[in-house]
Amino acid sequence: MINDEPDARGLVSIALQTFRDSVLPTVPAERRFEALMIVNALGIAERELAAKPDAALEARIPQLCSDIDAGAYDAPERQADLRRVLWELTRARLAISNPRLLNPV
Amino acid sequence: MTAEPRLLDETQLPRLEAWIAAKAGADRVSVVDEGPLSGGAISLNLAVTLEIEGGALAGRHEAVLRTGSATGVSASLGKAQEGMVLRAAFAAGALAPEPLFISDAGGADDALLGAPFYIMRRARGVAAGRKVVKADQPQRELAREMGRQLGLIHSIKPGTAGLDFLPMPEPSPGLQCERDYRTWMGRFAGTDPVLAYGLRWLTLHAPPAGEVVLCHRDYRTGNYMVDQGRLTAIIDWEFAGWSDPMEDLGWFCAASWRFGQAGREAGGLSDRADFYAGYEEAAGRRVDQEAVAYWETAAYLRWAAVAIQQGMRHTSGTEPSIELALTGRMLPEIEQDLLRHLDSLAGHTLFGRTA
Repeated sequence: MINDEPDARGLVSIALQTFRDSVLPTVPAERRFEALMIVNALGIAERELAAKPDAALEARIPQLCSDIDAGAYDAPERQADLRRVLWELTRARLAISNPRLLNPV
Repeated sequence: MTAEPRLLDETQLPRLEAWIAAKAGADRVSVVDEGPLSGGAISLNLAVTLEIEGGALAGRHEAVLRTGSATGVSASLGKAQEGMVLRAAFAAGALAPEPLFISDAGGADDALLGAPFYIMRRARGVAAGRKVVKADQPQRELAREMGRQLGLIHSIKPGTAGLDFLPMPEPSPGLQCERDYRTWMGRFAGTDPVLAYGLRWLTLHAPPAGEVVLCHRDYRTGNYMVDQGRLTAIIDWEFAGWSDPMEDLGWFCAASWRFGQAGREAGGLSDRADFYAGYEEAAGRRVDQEAVAYWETAAYLRWAAVAIQQGMRHTSGTEPSIELALTGRMLPEIEQDLLRHLDSLAGHTLFGRTA
């Protein structure tokens, strides 16, 4: 594939910046909610395009779900281990969808 | 202001007027369409004023016509059924908007507007969560009143006339909900380990089957109207069903509906104690805190299932909408609230089992 620049991340990034800096301040009040949703959606897309997915980890997720369903993590100490992993996965997703909600640990 | 599109076209309006006249025993009815009200993501609410000449309801009535949107989520009742629930709640003395006219389920009435609908009295005030919770001091009396109202709603029991279409949970409300949420989540239950863990937790810790009552099932800040600090109406009854009464308390107190007032655990209004006190006063039933904790876990899973379905309404192409799309991406924050809640319960015993 011919490598065109800027890439998707670069385009989304400049589109978001232009929209936020130049367009948003001129948006009438009754359209502001929609405009903010556009900012939000572009921000998520930008962060997702910048993220480096861990393919090895992702490949293990369906098996982990089946193991949970089957009761493999029912014992309290296993639940505690599992919860640590679930927190990591959730924080990684939050870093993309809504990083403002990430509290420092 | 630009003119809002009229939702009732020129053929529907006279037919609706004739239908109301027949229902009300009136000589003449005119309906003034005042345009859509901001509503939930699932329903369409139209402000209407009814001018009724003759009959028991003669006079001018500010009302809301409520009907379904193109696609709903699995849990939602049809609008005629929702109207029947509203009628039962109003009869029980709860501050539900009085339903005036309900289309007959499955009958010729469906053809009138293309879908079941009902007309209820319009309440004054605001529902928007951020506005409702905005207060320098905790809103203790409002929290207490929300508890009392829930107690009134929970006085409605299976066997109530007109509500026989609502299914009974089997074998218990907790296990029924776990099964329902899993179904609504579809493939996500098998690809998202936080959801898988939450569902497993619901199965392991389910309370034994007990008393079931009419639960509102979306009883939270954002779904009631407040005018100058006072409750005027409880709205959005489309998820109502028979369940464990503690389900509604867990939902109301979940972290998802505090709108920035995280420290006021009862819906961003005040402490849980105020809400619980109002509830016990009106319900004549103690708050079972173990059960509320269980149902708060269920609340996050239910909200996750609804968010997935909202997202799918967009992703499937049936209803392209940036709002629905972004709701689908709320899952990680719902799951963070779930994990925080489960961490807070770790080591405690719920229904004989260590959480």
